[in-house]
Amino acid sequence: MGEIVTDAAIMAALGRQMTKAVQKQAVAAGNLANLDTPGYRAQEVSFADALEGQLATPALVATDSNHFGVAAGVPERGQTGDAPGLAARRDGNNVQLDKELLSLGRAGGEFSAAQAVLSAKFRLVRYAINEGR
Amino acid sequence: MSTLLSAMNASASALDVQRARMEVAVSNMANADSTRGADGQPYRRREVVLESVPGEPSAQFRGLVASGVRVAAVVEDQADFRRRFEPSHPDADAEGFVAVPNVDVPEEMVDMLGAARAYQANLTAITLIRDTIQRALELAR
Amino acid sequence: MAIDGISSGLSGVAGVAAPGASSNSDAPGFGDTLRQLIGEVETTAGDANTAVGRMIDGTGDVHEAMIALQKADVMFQLTMQIRNKIVQAYQDVMRMPV
Repeated sequence: MGEIVTDAAIMAALGRQMTKAVQKQAVAAGNLANLDTPGYRAQEVSFADALEGQLATPALVATDSNHFGVAAGVPERGQTGDAPGLAARRDGNNVQLDKELLSLGRAGGEFSAAQAVLSAKFRLVRYAINEGR
Repeated sequence: MSTLLSAMNASASALDVQRARMEVAVSNMANADSTRGADGQPYRRREVVLESVPGEPSAQFRGLVASGVRVAAVVEDQADFRRRFEPSHPDADAEGFVAVPNVDVPEEMVDMLGAARAYQANLTAITLIRDTIQRALELAR
Repeated sequence: MAIDGISSGLSGVAGVAAPGASSNSDAPGFGDTLRQLIGEVETTAGDANTAVGRMIDGTGDVHEAMIALQKADVMFQLTMQIRNKIVQAYQDVMRMPV
């Protein structure tokens, strides 16, 4: 990460963080709902972009660092698939209750953190615009 | 619908399902000794068959739709009735055996506890998802 | 809805900047800057409406709508502040005894 990270890029990355957290919660909720469904395989969601890709400038370049860039951070859907390495019970179901509950909680924490930081960033920008008034 | 709302719907569907499981387990336990029902036969154990309900995202929806669950059917367990030797029982047959319901009470207890645990977990999930929605609204502050 | 009034309110501002642009032809026109900003205000406001609409009919997430609303709000505040500064500067200049 050699280049300076712009405000716009960071805020877009935070927005993507929130989208990912929300999808993780949805997958965990679906798994928990199917805790006793015979033959159900626990799902997980994965996202393609690596950290460096996250901070790259958005496709529509902002003309000024004060501008946020239109449509920066268009959310992408993660890939859902069977979670590997889980032991199945007699009915073929391999959902682990504690694991899913932990995922839900952790994703909630990630969302909260990203939200808090993004709110702080907006507050800073507004503060700068209004010259502290 | 939006990702978080679909997740909440999935969890809510599980609450209905687990409650149905508990009700069936209670019914089984209550009738564990019903040797003669309305049809003259012993009570036959019932069980709940579950199936998942995959979400169908609309074309414009870019998020993720959570899979819910629902009761596909309530079926009767076709295992044979057990026979207990009790000649004094009013429903005893010629050899003194009574056909008793195919209900194993300890097993029903385990089922009920499992359903209660799953119910609790999905309730927790709903709380966590609701919290996330509230945090999203706090972006305005 | 207040949002629709933004563009009509702000487009009147561009006229204020016109005298500045015509009297000093080699300086970057305030009018151009303002027009560009107004355009971006309309864009972000439109994006916010889109995102809220998606949230309402269930095809989008809450946090997307909230972020879009915040962006529109900040863009608008920025533009208003710049507009106020320009108006103030213009009035200062007009008050100067010649």
